Amino acid sequence: MSADPNPHPTEPDVRPHVYDGIREFNNRLPNWWLFTLYATIVFWVGYWAYYEWFRVEPEGARSVELAMTRIDAAKLAATAAVNIDDKSLWAMSRNPVFVDAGRQTFEANCVACHLKSLRGKSESPTAIGPDLTDQIWIHGGDPTDLYRTVTQGVPAKGMPTWGPVLGPKRITEAVAYVLSHHKEGEPIVIDTSVSAPAK
Amino acid sequence: MSNQKITVEFNDKIVRQFLLATVVWAAVAMLVGVLIAAQLNFWQLNFNTSWLTWSRLRPLHTNAAIFAFVGNMMFAGIYYSTQRLVKARLASDFLSQFHFWGWQAIIVAAAVTLPFGLTRSKEYAELIWPINLMVVVVWVVFAVNFFWTLGRRNEPSLYVAIWFYIATIVTVAMLYIVNHLSIPTSFTHSYPVFGGVQDALVQWWYGHNAVAFFLTTPILGIMYYFLPKAAERPVYSYRLSVIHFWSLVFVYIWAGPHHLLNTALPNWLQTLGMTFSLMLWAPSWGGMLNGLLTLRGAWDKVRTDPVLKFFAAGVTFYGMATFEGPLLAIRSVNALAHYTDWIIAHVHIGTLGWNGFMAAGMIYWLLPRLWSKPLYSTALANLHFWIGLVGILLYASAMWTSGITQGVMLTAATDNGTVLAYPNFLDTLNAIRPMMLMRVIGGALYLTGWLLLAYNMVRTIRGARPVNGSIEVYAEPAGTETAGLSLLGSIFNPPVLFSVLAFAFACAWMFGGDFMKIAGIVGALFCIVAAYLHYESRGRQWAAWYDRLLVTAMPFTVLTLIAVIAGGLIQIIPTVVAQQASNVEDRRQIPYTPLELAGRDLYVSDGCYLCHSQMIRTLVPDVLRYGDYSRLGESIYDHPFQWGSKRNGPDLARVGGKYPNIWHLRHLQDPRSVSAGSNMPNFQWLLTDATDLAILPKKIAVMRTLGVPYPPMSDAMVLANARAQAAGIAEDLKAAGATVAPDKQVIALIAYLQGLGKFEPVQHKGPEQGSRLND
Amino acid sequence: MQNTSPFKPVRDQVTTIREDGSRRFLYPADAPGRFDRARRAAALALIAVYLLLPWVKVGGYPAVFLDVAHRRFHLLGLTLAAQDLWLLFFLISGLGFGLFFVTALLGRIWCGWACPQTVFLDHVFRRVERWIEGDAVKRQLLARAPWTPSKILRRAAKQAIYLLLAAAITHLFLAYFVSIPSVWAMMRDAPTKNWGAFVFIAAATGVIYFNFAWFREQLCIVICPYGRLQSALTDDHTLVIGYDWARGEPRGKPGSPGAGDCVACERCVSVCPTGIDIRQGLQLECIGCAACIDACDEVMARLGRKPGLVRYDSLAGLSGRPRRRIRPRMVVYGVLLVIGASVAGWSASGIRPAMLTATRMVGAPYYVDGGTVRNQFLVRLVNKRSEKVTLNLSVRGLPAAATVRGLEAPVEIAPMGEEVRPLIVQVPRAQSALAIVFEVVASDAAGSFRLSRAMEFLGPEAAPDSPNSHEPGPRSL
Repeated sequence: MSADPNPHPTEPDVRPHVYDGIREFNNRLPNWWLFTLYATIVFWVGYWAYYEWFRVEPEGARSVELAMTRIDAAKLAATAAVNIDDKSLWAMSRNPVFVDAGRQTFEANCVACHLKSLRGKSESPTAIGPDLTDQIWIHGGDPTDLYRTVTQGVPAKGMPTWGPVLGPKRITEAVAYVLSHHKEGEPIVIDTSVSAPAK
Repeated sequence: MSNQKITVEFNDKIVRQFLLATVVWAAVAMLVGVLIAAQLNFWQLNFNTSWLTWSRLRPLHTNAAIFAFVGNMMFAGIYYSTQRLVKARLASDFLSQFHFWGWQAIIVAAAVTLPFGLTRSKEYAELIWPINLMVVVVWVVFAVNFFWTLGRRNEPSLYVAIWFYIATIVTVAMLYIVNHLSIPTSFTHSYPVFGGVQDALVQWWYGHNAVAFFLTTPILGIMYYFLPKAAERPVYSYRLSVIHFWSLVFVYIWAGPHHLLNTALPNWLQTLGMTFSLMLWAPSWGGMLNGLLTLRGAWDKVRTDPVLKFFAAGVTFYGMATFEGPLLAIRSVNALAHYTDWIIAHVHIGTLGWNGFMAAGMIYWLLPRLWSKPLYSTALANLHFWIGLVGILLYASAMWTSGITQGVMLTAATDNGTVLAYPNFLDTLNAIRPMMLMRVIGGALYLTGWLLLAYNMVRTIRGARPVNGSIEVYAEPAGTETAGLSLLGSIFNPPVLFSVLAFAFACAWMFGGDFMKIAGIVGALFCIVAAYLHYESRGRQWAAWYDRLLVTAMPFTVLTLIAVIAGGLIQIIPTVVAQQASNVEDRRQIPYTPLELAGRDLYVSDGCYLCHSQMIRTLVPDVLRYGDYSRLGESIYDHPFQWGSKRNGPDLARVGGKYPNIWHLRHLQDPRSVSAGSNMPNFQWLLTDATDLAILPKKIAVMRTLGVPYPPMSDAMVLANARAQAAGIAEDLKAAGATVAPDKQVIALIAYLQGLGKFEPVQHKGPEQGSRLND
Repeated sequence: MQNTSPFKPVRDQVTTIREDGSRRFLYPADAPGRFDRARRAAALALIAVYLLLPWVKVGGYPAVFLDVAHRRFHLLGLTLAAQDLWLLFFLISGLGFGLFFVTALLGRIWCGWACPQTVFLDHVFRRVERWIEGDAVKRQLLARAPWTPSKILRRAAKQAIYLLLAAAITHLFLAYFVSIPSVWAMMRDAPTKNWGAFVFIAAATGVIYFNFAWFREQLCIVICPYGRLQSALTDDHTLVIGYDWARGEPRGKPGSPGAGDCVACERCVSVCPTGIDIRQGLQLECIGCAACIDACDEVMARLGRKPGLVRYDSLAGLSGRPRRRIRPRMVVYGVLLVIGASVAGWSASGIRPAMLTATRMVGAPYYVDGGTVRNQFLVRLVNKRSEKVTLNLSVRGLPAAATVRGLEAPVEIAPMGEEVRPLIVQVPRAQSALAIVFEVVASDAAGSFRLSRAMEFLGPEAAPDSPNSHEPGPRSL
């Protein structure tokens, strides 16, 4: 297009210098743009004061520790037992609500190796998992031992780590179901012959 | 002014050389990019060859894009514009040629060494120490050539483009040297002097500012020259140039720790990294707006002129990338986005959109002028623009989608946030596999566009005669209308003094005790008010002072150096002093056994860190997935640190002991056999190549020099220890049904992997002293 | 025709930024006319769509319900899980291509007619302003007037309504992610109960209020990247709003000799919502709202001249050259759009109502157990429907001697639920060194769909030294 039809009413402020033909206006940028710069500086001051000076809220390691404490608490709450101790697990194993829920979890996840009867190798020599109804245990026979074995697994032997898959609630229920095949106070025999080397 | 005029002929030959190198290396960088993007989809594409494997080629891609492509482009643009802006020929033809051939030799050396696994493993600082020395020499030659030319200038006042070039040269030199300090163990291998958290901080101080001062400031300078030239419009605002130049160079340096948010990096550094990144938004957009509003007056030409099209889009992408940057630096956003493809989208908006398009605009503008012949085809240039734009669109939308999808899946939890929804990392990987294919298509389109430029260039140059620009200047430089400043005069001036004082008070406020805090905040406020009042009453003095500063290159350079050095000093010195193995809290790393050390060097050499982090962040999803968060002390002896920056695979900080040896063997041999759906390449050569044990005594000696507490061991003891451990692992593998000779690399690597996460508790839990810098 | 614009746009400066950097507020005059009517109709339709999408139910869920909390995304009856989120790519890139295509064809039609910024600003917030404060002249006078009670009342009423509108827009926006009933429930709860949502609403309301009450055209001029790319995407044959130079120049009063059709009434400037003079050609700020066309046509009609001095036309057309609608670019964009849409459609049709993934259990890749080798997997099943589904699982491609455990019973999955089942495969030692690839298959009882996943069976080397009874060794070194 040819000449500008609207000649400038006022020539804007131009710097006196010309560099290789390049001229520079001296226009203003919008003030709000400058305010965003000031606002971020003020934010820095406030953020630093909040976290580094007055330490109103924890951050980083302290905050994740708090969060994990909350999560552990939530896990404990979700296990239905207030504490995962032998006593409450035994109590749950006598409660049909827990035992029934545990049976469902067990039949969905555990019967592939331990069989529906829970008798594993005792029922069929080709089964993978050991008998869970007898009094011989490999990784400890107290209810908390069971809970630990299920949650952490025994990777060297093929017992998977169920903790991240099932979560604490379903694991406590499944343990209660297994315990419902046992009696509190019955003798426990630890079979060290097949036990994995101590960690 | 009755002076005689003489004609100065510019050295445009060097510009043509760098321009051709730019086009060639850019194509190489993009081609490697497309290949490695394809390898993420089709793991077979390494053809079981070590030097064609993703993790060896990825550093080649990044280094080629940054140093070969943008480097050459920057030198071409700087040399072309500087000569014209200062009305003088480059000071030395010899130094110019040395610069060009030296730089190309560095690139070739990098292209040869990186695929063979010779690397320092620090991102964009991978090159081995002999090449580092070459880089330093060539950079010094560049600096001498540049400043010598400034010294001989016939234009007293320095244009804004020159400011940015000066900032680039001094800052890159500073960053490069500090981050490459290392002690050699052989001609091709060295250990960096910093370890663990120190190394991480120094690396990202460097890495972030490589982006700032290698990919941004020189290109802004180039924008300030070529954009108004091409648009034939005055620059929109000089005052904006001043504000955004100084705020950009000062603030940028501080933002490095945003690459380490939520890690074991001390919190105060993370806070600085995040808040200064937010402060960067306005200065960055200042540059974008100055370019954009300069173009505004020639807006109707953007429709037809491919050069302006590329500049308009390039500046727009700069704006998008610098908006996204501060956003990603917010801790909570970063928690989701870090380690995912979102970051990949972000950096490619920058390189493809900003660097690539600014380069293309500059090249299309320069070609007719350097060869005195019209561009072969404007239509082809327009086609390049459209294909490139489509390529960026596909690439970026694929990576945004991928990053957000994976981020959401990795953090998703069920059962009241106590159980991960997708405990298996592969579930999240498989969800984004289609996106990886789309990115290949986007990248290939962009490469196609670039090849069109190359073709256009070849056709333009063919049969054309190279021409050199020239200018008439007075034989005796006229006395300047503005008197220059001495060094002292440049420092003892209201603007500088107010800034320095306010900054000193701000530091007192941040790091001082209670009294200092109050004094600091009062003092800083006082400085700001005083500066404001002074500016309101004596604003003219400030402007006059700056005009005088602009005619004195040396004081200007010194002030720039002061501005860029502050952030690094404040962040790095306390970290290097305070974060040492002797005073870590909580946990301390156990030094690696000799065999583990050998395995670690293989881990570095094969680029494992490019896909696997070793940093469990202080975030619940990370802790749920990978175990207890990583402590600062747990990698204190890691020279170089291996925290990583991207998780194409899961974190490995606590992988030691998680799987049996046989699992690792099978996994390295054929990852899919144990991890269905994995896209990790086969590392077959680890099973056939032997570990270099002979060098271990030397390496351990260097480690000891660096402060890693190895007990006194004779060379024979070192070797015996390594062999015994290797034999043990080979034995264990045999028991599990796999035969591997103990001298193979895979044995050493397994030893290292199984050793990851070993630490000892630190006993001294004394009173909280110096907790300011330790928490 | 009075000139309501107190400024004269120039090409060296931005109209809305004054010399001292402060903001120049614009008071665009009304420009009734056919484009105004059409644009208002389009805007009302779009607002209606925005309002209705979270309310109308398709297939049991709101038409658009992006349920981030449960990672289920309902789009017009299609339900996507997190694993299908990659389809989002087609949305983003399709939007991009669509904009490329439309811009090449019709210029910034998106900005002027469909962008939420323009739709809400011109047809909601400026309507409120017009209603409370009167036309452009009155609004300017009011702005300059001293703070009388009447002015305070008007201004307060306007801002209050703005705030309400901003809050309404935000609540509706939230409803896209949590559904209308949940938003309603949260609104009745104390803010502390849903603190995150409350903070979001408060912040978003603030941002939207600020944007529409104060920021306005600055967003288009300074922030929006698409606004800039448009000029690079248009060409000589793109339909843009332009001024017919040949016809209009030189400007002059009606009847003055040699004058063109432009009477320099500056109506086009006074109606412009971004403060430019369309007669200066294509500009960065122009959002293609067509107000200047309506304004100019009205003046031309009053003068008894032909309309279209300012009109929708290509730059070629405005300068009297032949127009070309179909250009190679259009074909390329069109083809790309069609390809993209086809791939998107094909991918979406591949979305099954359930999903199956299989991974190896954490631990050793295989276990040797007497004469057999054992591999352990976890099969994860996801139901994406809102009703229960029962899947039958099986395995194909294993040697006849293999034993498979864990998949015997059909798996019932709750609506939108996930289930995990172990899969244990045992293969006799003699066959275990073969490369066995098998498939896990799931299908629903009716056989309406089938899901499958290939897996690899692993075992020790063919010729072990000690064939029996070795478990993989301990992990300690």
